[in-house]
Amino acid sequence: MKNKDEKRISFREAFRLNLRMLRILYRNSPRSILSRVIKTGWEALSPYIGIGLSAMIVTELAGNRDPKRLLFLVLLTLGSALIVSLIGAWIHKWYSTVQEVWFFDAQQLFSKKLLSMDYQDIDDTHTHDLLAKIRESRMGNGYGAFNIYYMIPKATTAVCTLLGGIAMTATLFLSPVTDTRYAVLSHPLFTLGVIALMVFIIVAGPWFTNLGQKIIARHTQDWAHGNRMFMHFGFLGYDKKRAADVRMFRQERICVKYNNNKEGFFGSKGTLAKLHAGKLGAYKAASQAISALFTGVAYAYICLKAWAGAFGIGAVTQYAAAITRVAGGVSTLLEVISEIRTNAAFLDVPFEFLDMPNRMYQGTIPVEKRRDNEYEIAFHNVSFKYPGSEDYALKNVNFSFKVGKRLAVVGMNGSGKTTMIKLLCRLYDPTEGVITLNGIDIRKYNYDEYLSVFSVVFQDFKLFDFSLGQNVAAGNTVDEARIRDCLEKAGFGDRLSSLPNGIDTPLGHDYEDGGVELSGGEAQKVALARALCRDAHFIVLDEPTAALDPIAEAEVYARFDSIVGDKTAIYISHRLSSCRFCDEILVFDQGSVVQHGTHDDLLAAAGGKYHELWNAQAQYYV
Amino acid sequence: MKAKEKPKFNTWQNSFWMLALAWREKEKKVIFLGILSAILTVSLNLTELYVVPVILDTVETRAPLGRLALIIAGFAAALMAIRALSTYITPLEAYGRLTTRFAVFDALNIKASSTSYPNIHDDNFEKLGKKSQSTINHDHAAAQAILYTLRQLVTNVLGFAVYVALMTAIHPLLLLLIFLTTGGAFLLNRKCSEYLHEHREEDQAHNRRLWYLFQKMQDPADAKDIRLFGLQPWMESLYDQLLEAYYLFAGKVQMRLFLAKVGEIVLTFLRNGAAYAVLIYMVLQGRIGVPEFLLSFTAVAGFAAWITGILENVSEVRRYSIELCAVREYLSYPELFKFEEGAALVPEPERLYELKLENVSFRYPGADHDVLKNVNFTLHPGEKVAVVGLNGAGKTTLVKLLCGFLDPTEGRVLLDGRDIREYNRRDYYKLFTAVFQDFSLLAVSIAANVAQSEENIDMARVRDCIDRAGLTAKIESLPEGYDTKLLRSVHFDAVELSGGETQRLMLARALYRNAPVIVLDEPTAALDPIAESEMYGKYHEMTAGRSSVYISHRLASTRFCDRILYIEDAGIAEEGTHEELLARGGRYAALFEVQSRYYREGGMDDEK
Repeated sequence: MKNKDEKRISFREAFRLNLRMLRILYRNSPRSILSRVIKTGWEALSPYIGIGLSAMIVTELAGNRDPKRLLFLVLLTLGSALIVSLIGAWIHKWYSTVQEVWFFDAQQLFSKKLLSMDYQDIDDTHTHDLLAKIRESRMGNGYGAFNIYYMIPKATTAVCTLLGGIAMTATLFLSPVTDTRYAVLSHPLFTLGVIALMVFIIVAGPWFTNLGQKIIARHTQDWAHGNRMFMHFGFLGYDKKRAADVRMFRQERICVKYNNNKEGFFGSKGTLAKLHAGKLGAYKAASQAISALFTGVAYAYICLKAWAGAFGIGAVTQYAAAITRVAGGVSTLLEVISEIRTNAAFLDVPFEFLDMPNRMYQGTIPVEKRRDNEYEIAFHNVSFKYPGSEDYALKNVNFSFKVGKRLAVVGMNGSGKTTMIKLLCRLYDPTEGVITLNGIDIRKYNYDEYLSVFSVVFQDFKLFDFSLGQNVAAGNTVDEARIRDCLEKAGFGDRLSSLPNGIDTPLGHDYEDGGVELSGGEAQKVALARALCRDAHFIVLDEPTAALDPIAEAEVYARFDSIVGDKTAIYISHRLSSCRFCDEILVFDQGSVVQHGTHDDLLAAAGGKYHELWNAQAQYYV
Repeated sequence: MKAKEKPKFNTWQNSFWMLALAWREKEKKVIFLGILSAILTVSLNLTELYVVPVILDTVETRAPLGRLALIIAGFAAALMAIRALSTYITPLEAYGRLTTRFAVFDALNIKASSTSYPNIHDDNFEKLGKKSQSTINHDHAAAQAILYTLRQLVTNVLGFAVYVALMTAIHPLLLLLIFLTTGGAFLLNRKCSEYLHEHREEDQAHNRRLWYLFQKMQDPADAKDIRLFGLQPWMESLYDQLLEAYYLFAGKVQMRLFLAKVGEIVLTFLRNGAAYAVLIYMVLQGRIGVPEFLLSFTAVAGFAAWITGILENVSEVRRYSIELCAVREYLSYPELFKFEEGAALVPEPERLYELKLENVSFRYPGADHDVLKNVNFTLHPGEKVAVVGLNGAGKTTLVKLLCGFLDPTEGRVLLDGRDIREYNRRDYYKLFTAVFQDFSLLAVSIAANVAQSEENIDMARVRDCIDRAGLTAKIESLPEGYDTKLLRSVHFDAVELSGGETQRLMLARALYRNAPVIVLDEPTAALDPIAESEMYGKYHEMTAGRSSVYISHRLASTRFCDRILYIEDAGIAEEGTHEELLARGGRYAALFEVQSRYYREGGMDDEK
């Protein structure tokens, strides 16, 4: 990343951070961690059994050649290989099963967090930046929370390989030579010298690899950007919504420049390829050459000692096979250690995301179920700024409103109508001022109970591709008759009877097969039915009808008004004609309530906002 | 899938096609470095195979120390050189393959962007498109992987051939046994993988459901409804249920693969048992020494690996080849319109054209009724026509016919009397400039979005068009001005324009393109009344000196037009000026009455 002078975190701190993330991941899905550890551990240890046994066979063949003992050794080797492989296969089966669902297992950490987050945080660009960073470092250099899933098997392999390898090669260094002319080979200083040389070589390899990694890390941003460019220009032609524009303006001509660009970041003459052809490639090649050099040094030492009579050729095969593994183990361990540090730097973002608290004050007061339906809502000097914004979306809003009435909220786009509704439904809490229900601050009510008082259909309402019934019941257990009744009332009755599987028909095709696509108007009816099904006292319609022509919208509002009955309804629209039946009209402008009254009063106030809006629309009709 | 349709292109053809593509794209390294890579891999294998037996032999026979040192140094040097070289060329080769994939990627996007418009609604074409995309969307997808697998195949064949030449000492019966056991294991594995192939749809269904829910749980657009209707606990427990169901299913698939693996282990057990028996017998007989024993025993496993490799590579290449058939079919999908083979059409500056719909009917494929029936209409040179009607009346279809995006089911569309089907359709589109409801913003600079090109941008004209669209203040307030890039989802430093600003930008774009016919398709639907009214003024201004077609559901917004077509019941129900239509007292007048009632004086009095 850019900030070079960022203070280096200590290894202890880096280790602590990675460990904390490991714990979180383990709690999220134990099997995803365990299966990796067990599988890699087994795979790292099991080859040593074969190495040891086949060395014994070689020893026997080179020595006594006792047929009985050979038979025994061969059977032991074959038998143990069979058992080890079978256990390995069983572990692998478990591991692969977990791997199949791993994406969904692992990702639920973030998706469930998002699901439980306060709306104000979900709607915050900061949250999205965090998520984008998490995703991008994952896609780009791979560092971050989920890198732990790759570090854990690496660490397991390193540790198991080392332990097994050291156990099998310890005697290589310890066994004395028999030929006294070469006694120097057994001298502790010589042995230490050889070990030092080996360690030096083992460390030198990863050192070069690391240099290469640093070069790659400098291009993290370009990497992410390159991928985004492909997602945009590479798939432009398949987007049906763009199709007419794309053809009229021949946009594929611009795409070609980016899609088939050899000099582009990923192209064969691009940045990455050039790096690989230059320094980066040289470092990587050097690292490989050095690890091959290790093999040479190790073999030389083994052969020398064998040649000098320290051990037989059976042991030579054992040491030769084991020592390269030890080297591999050490270099993997070094990689993991350096990764712990690098990865820690990418963990602050996922931690910040996961540690985000639910900040909304959650009260405990139950909402009283009043027989007389006497509810009154009031805004007292309410002001509101969206998180991260300097400007007030609402400024000093005051009004009150009784149950059973019809309220229209009008104003231009961006005047604060929808924001007011979001505050009312506690998607956000006011920055200043209070909102009360029957005189009590709404924050003091039990959140779920308070929400149950409202039913809202937003302009951008969403239905899900689940069954029609599940959509209307919104996940609750509601009896079928009621669902049908609500659909009926919302005007969906005719369409319902034409559906192949009635209320069990899925809406859309994304969740399962056999679904139907609803038109915009039909979807609205289902959304209205869902709002009705939720037996709430307040129903809010926030321009769910914007896609309809004005006549259709007016009809929907009017019909809905008759369905609502004695409940309270709040209608929001920029089309003044849609709200003609409302008792009261609230006019918003630039975040404030500028007018409040009946249609006649408001229209009479020449120079008022309502008057202006009215004229803008009326000019087409007079 | 059950009925085995013969693929249109066979494995040889598709492999050759990809290799030829690499060659044509000047990515010859894919082939040359691929062969070099194969040679290096086999060399490395041989070096590693011989190193231990040879040094064992040296130690056992107590050859002079100098010789031992030389042998070890020789091996070490060989290992170092081979590993360094092969590490160095691997990524270079890989970028060659990647760039070859880009060529496929690019060709597909060009086809998708320029195919005859009705094709995009053709299910078969769409299905081929989706299949094609899945061959190019990552490094391990068919278009790139087939090149890698072909290289692996060369490696394995080479390795096998070298082993056959070198391992003459191995008993022919043992060789036969190697063939039988590896072949058997391969077939067993294939048999057991069939379960997954047969249940692929079930697998996809699990995946799809989880993916859908996963998306919904984190989509901010759904967050409001989820919270207000209290869907969280339900969604969470549904997710857990789906996850467990998928896990169980995956377990069943893996169980089959496990059984195949058990078979393979048993066969390997037999093979190794036989190898031990034969080789130990030979040692005991004194026919071979211990180093040769080791060499031969390792070689047995090596043989098996080459054979397995060849079998696997061949079946992979075949699978990729079948996937690539979709790409080739997509690229050669028949076109409905004439393009380069049609008559050329060069719009002359300042010239106006006459467009005519003659007895035009249109029905979407598979539909049971006509969207438009027997429509006759002429757009005279320089005329401004409005098309109004309720949602779904067929307004957009009418415009798509006029613009040449759709061809009539019956009747003709004529340009100055000549059927537009005779022209190169891409030339025909040059006659139009448009603001559609859905538009395509590009991740390029603001200036390039206006000019729809990144080269030869006439900046004076861009500034003028931005100014006429009323966007100058906004653009000039940006630090990079006209060079500011659009789309934050692509560029980190891009600017995000609001809905209204984007609308104006589209207007500037339409102005920049000095085309004789301008089409406006309900571009104000998302705007509030005051912004809407301002935009109407701009549209009025920009249509001066051109023919124009303006679609709206707001009847009276179109009064700047010379003529209004009122669409109802799949045809032009009424036409005339606003005043004429009102005077006629027909459907248009009735509809206008309903819409305007509220806004006229005393509107509040009337009861519904």
